[in-house]
Amino acid sequence: MVLPPNVNEADFNAALSQFRSAVGASWVFSSDEDVALYRDSYSINWGEPEERVASAAVAPAKVEEVQQIVRIANRYRIPLYPISTGRNLTYGGSAPNMRGSVVVDLKRMNRILEVDERRAFALVEPGVSYFDLYNHIRERNLKLMLDVPDPGWGSPMGNSLDHGAGYTMAAFRDHFSSHCGMEVVTPDGEVIRTGMGAVPNADSWQDFRYGAGPNVDGLFAQSNFGIVTKMGFWLMPMPEAFLSGTVTVPRHQDLDPLVYEVSYLEDLGLTGMPQYGSPAGRSAFGPGAAAMASLMQNGWPSAQAIENFVTAQKLPAWSVQLYFYGPEETVRATWQAAKRRIGKAIAGAAFQDGEFLTLPIPKEKEPTQSDKPRLGIPALEVFNMVARNAGNANDPPDGHADLFVTIPRKASALFEAARVLYETYKELGMPAQGNPFPTPFTYYSRCFWTGTTVPTWRDPEKNAHSRAIFEKVINRCAEHGWVGYRTSPTFQDLLISKYSFNNHSLLRFQEKLKDSIDPNGIISPGRYGIWPASMRKNRA
Amino acid sequence: MVNRRGVLKIGAATVAGVLVKMPDSGRALPPTGARLAFLRAVFDERFAECRGFAAELLSAGVCTSPIRGDVAKLWYDNLRVHLRENRLPVTGLTDRTALFCIEELARDVGMRVIFRADHMIDQNGRTQHMAVGPASLVAAAHSLPPEAGFGRAIAVLFGQFDISRLNINGAGHTSAQKRTGPFSPGAKTALVSWMIA
Repeated sequence: MVLPPNVNEADFNAALSQFRSAVGASWVFSSDEDVALYRDSYSINWGEPEERVASAAVAPAKVEEVQQIVRIANRYRIPLYPISTGRNLTYGGSAPNMRGSVVVDLKRMNRILEVDERRAFALVEPGVSYFDLYNHIRERNLKLMLDVPDPGWGSPMGNSLDHGAGYTMAAFRDHFSSHCGMEVVTPDGEVIRTGMGAVPNADSWQDFRYGAGPNVDGLFAQSNFGIVTKMGFWLMPMPEAFLSGTVTVPRHQDLDPLVYEVSYLEDLGLTGMPQYGSPAGRSAFGPGAAAMASLMQNGWPSAQAIENFVTAQKLPAWSVQLYFYGPEETVRATWQAAKRRIGKAIAGAAFQDGEFLTLPIPKEKEPTQSDKPRLGIPALEVFNMVARNAGNANDPPDGHADLFVTIPRKASALFEAARVLYETYKELGMPAQGNPFPTPFTYYSRCFWTGTTVPTWRDPEKNAHSRAIFEKVINRCAEHGWVGYRTSPTFQDLLISKYSFNNHSLLRFQEKLKDSIDPNGIISPGRYGIWPASMRKNRA
Repeated sequence: MVNRRGVLKIGAATVAGVLVKMPDSGRALPPTGARLAFLRAVFDERFAECRGFAAELLSAGVCTSPIRGDVAKLWYDNLRVHLRENRLPVTGLTDRTALFCIEELARDVGMRVIFRADHMIDQNGRTQHMAVGPASLVAAAHSLPPEAGFGRAIAVLFGQFDISRLNINGAGHTSAQKRTGPFSPGAKTALVSWMIA
């Protein structure tokens, strides 16, 4: 049995007993087998003393039970770690941030409280998954589209509170930005509602986010200031149609104007999430492998050498897929406008019409529909796409840890980041990672993300190697001002240490709040670097 | 809702005895009866071994559900609904990805993997079996034949367990839980037979 830090067995057992009184004995889990369910399947500390394993789990069914749990935890100084569905793999999954915490599993709080078709919002509890909300909407033929992450087995609330993102229009795929109103149990057991939810009898909780005065919603994302028990989300009205189109441009240097033109369209709200690619760069995984090896044999190549490589491959340097949502007339017209603008800006740009669909996708066609997340359909197919490939050889990893750093939305920044990552791996004596054809992640419309993934294992020795790489990359990227937006609990202290302006004044401010709001430090100690005063020595 | 605590027990001695008598062909299951208490047998219809596994269990009266890799629809539209009402054991022969997803999802209904056998099929069709879980079942799985047909044999093995005596809450076994991630070796076909309860 793992005990919470600084809690003796008698107090722990007393707390468990009171948890049982609060939620029912069937909903407190303390056996080894039950607690093991909450291990992080992708843990980069698997089987080591540093693995963040829970001491127990408790599953409340209603907000009053959450309040009781919080009060009991205060009484015995039990650290709690709330999860909604707990499937945020690579970022900790269902495991707590600190070893020995009691997981507050909110799976039983799974009511869809309201979905308003005309005002296009939903109000849900933490245990509602994207699949649940999707099915609710489809069964009622509501003309609403979800924006879902991939895989879609998480919850709108959990994904939003962890700053997750999806695939459709910018206003919706930033999941925290599309929330409107929340209910929170604070560490002292109080219940607060934000925005218009604080106004008795107001019917506009999910219509206006701010209310009046400071907006505190952001304090409850990637943090430890309370347990969110309800949350509203703005949904996209179901578009009449979906259209995709692909743009290709011939030269490596064309990425700069291409990014500008695509960003122009996106910032006007005319396209969904663009998907960049590089046909020439991708050839390195096929017939262009030898040519790419030659290109990279003396280190990072010159601009001219890169252009020569592209010419030799007889493939476009870059591609971008654009996705349009709306009435048929407007999606077709917008695609025409995109072609006109990009064709004028970039010599040799070519265009290929993609899929046109009327929405919603008929139920019977859903199983075979490709690219489900772009159509707001939750899926788990992504696991099948990556589960077996040549890179796994005979010794596949068990998971992965991802580092996506935020860089400016411009080609030069993307190239520079690719070069730094390449050189960092080289310094580590690792096989080369990357080449001059990086493609950005565009989940958040106003920035690019780029980065790396390291494998995680059930083998501590291999994990130690992965951790060393991961830490090196975090440190090296930070030297350039590129820092991740989220990471697994193992690296959260290191990540947050990079947000160090004015002697870490942001973190020190958050710690002042923590000390005031949660003086016993019972909610998710250490989450994103915010430790209660009594535990700050634990900081990595 | 049925409380799963203390409901199921494995009769290790019974299992060992039954295994000795397991027919070589792997075709003859014991008559359908109280022993078989699986709510469902999940199989990936893309693989012949999985189809054989399902055919055997179907003939023994177990309800089978095909998937093609993705378990989402089966889980959310079907299994979860039933398991919330009646937490009966579920078995399967799938790829690692499907088991990985089901294992993660099964936490919602308080169920866990109690046995798994990884069947690694090389490019010559030879299969290596590696099992974890109750010792008697593990021993039997390790003696499965390396050639084609193990899917049916493992179905026989599962069918002969006295599931009703499986004490999943008392043994303290966690060895079968979260054994691997969803990834399979690129050079092999990795199938997994499993039980969750």
